[in-house]
Amino acid sequence: MSIFEYNGSALVAMVGKNCFAIASDRRLGVQLQTIATDFQRISKVHDRLFIGLSGLATDAQTLHQRLMFRHKLYQLREERDMKPETFASLVSALLYEKRFGPYFCQPVIAGLSDGDKPFICTTDSIGAKELAKDFVVAGTAGDSLYGACEAMFKPDMEPEELFETLSQALLASVDRDCLSGWGGHIYVVTPTEVKECTLKGRMD
Amino acid sequence: MKLDTTGLESALPLFGANCQMVDGFTAAPAFELPTTLDFDGFQKEAIQMVKPAKGTTTLAFIFKEGVMVAADSRASMGGYISSQSVKKIIEINPYMLGTMAGGAADCQFWHRNLGIKCRLHELANKRRISVTGASKLLANILYSYRGMGLSVGTMIAGWDETGPGLYYVDSEGGRLKGPRFSVGSGSPYAYGVLDSGYRYDMSIEEAAELARRAIYHATFRDGASGGVASVYHVGPNGWKKLSGDDVGELHYKYYPVTPSTVEQEMVEVSAA
Repeated sequence: MSIFEYNGSALVAMVGKNCFAIASDRRLGVQLQTIATDFQRISKVHDRLFIGLSGLATDAQTLHQRLMFRHKLYQLREERDMKPETFASLVSALLYEKRFGPYFCQPVIAGLSDGDKPFICTTDSIGAKELAKDFVVAGTAGDSLYGACEAMFKPDMEPEELFETLSQALLASVDRDCLSGWGGHIYVVTPTEVKECTLKGRMD
Repeated sequence: MKLDTTGLESALPLFGANCQMVDGFTAAPAFELPTTLDFDGFQKEAIQMVKPAKGTTTLAFIFKEGVMVAADSRASMGGYISSQSVKKIIEINPYMLGTMAGGAADCQFWHRNLGIKCRLHELANKRRISVTGASKLLANILYSYRGMGLSVGTMIAGWDETGPGLYYVDSEGGRLKGPRFSVGSGSPYAYGVLDSGYRYDMSIEEAAELARRAIYHATFRDGASGGVASVYHVGPNGWKKLSGDDVGELHYKYYPVTPSTVEQEMVEVSAA
């Protein structure tokens, strides 16, 4: 198995009407053995920006710490939060710095930018940004996630419908992947609130 | 006993013989070389192609009331789950079961072949074949294919005149008799539960629950095991399927979801 499949992960972000949702699985494994079933892959950068990191867990943790550091410095200097587009460029630059010895991660960035417009983006492990209007996926269950999201996505969904759709897409996809699953974590973010839910899934 | 002198015969006749008699033997003995780039390593490559496929959990143990056999039902190809509903317990005949671990095609084919041989033995000898005999038949067949890339890790469980019998047979040619076995990538986890909960004098329900729990724990920890935990019992009158529980539901039966304390609750803010 490749280094990207060492720990196993599934990440997906989807756009709705003035809102977005980002979801991940909860498994941390060492190849086929499951070590933890409550691993946090998505973290909050600020109230309107979330980042999820799939791939090798140790690189995800290090990259997360470096990004938090850079964002805090930005907040001190500019006295405001970073816009999602800017943050995506920051992630891309940090990853390309390690072009010839990369972080084995695939980040998914999701945030609300100016005018409460939802913004989602993913990059590959060396920083190539992929902006999408509907959904982005990452992780070992990525191929299954593409299929499930493509089938279930509708434009301009309200937060409740978006939550249902994304949860079903995530659970259906991880049920076809040995290396991810064991529950799910989902954040639904609107301009006024952030809803965090844990999903009950198959534990095999 | 007739002596086996095939090794002493030479391919070419020493004295002049009629051409018709030696047709097919005139050429020097030769064997076909496989057309491959890597003559020394191609067999190992063939084995490696099939080898990672032992992603499964199967177990069997002997107890007072017979033999309990259990398995999961997931088939995986690398990281992809190709099926959650594979039958891994193969019914060789009404009183003998075989478990599947390794290459699915290999296990299915050779178990069916074993079933045929057992039936022929019954017809020729007017009595059922013993578990010892059946496992020896399979082990000898697999030994003759040793090194050719078959991947079979099976347990033969049955009830014959001497009582319950359980043998482990694999594609390396190994054959072991024992009271408890677990085979597959999830076997370490299943052994943990099985070994700590095992007693010889359990009832059928207790043994079935032990087997089910062992398979459930293996599916929880092992990524390559999952789906449905099937449990079979082999008694003096043959085998009977006891249960086939979805392990996703078993988890919430063993560990029900309890409401947790609320950490942060939103309240309506009165307008200023």
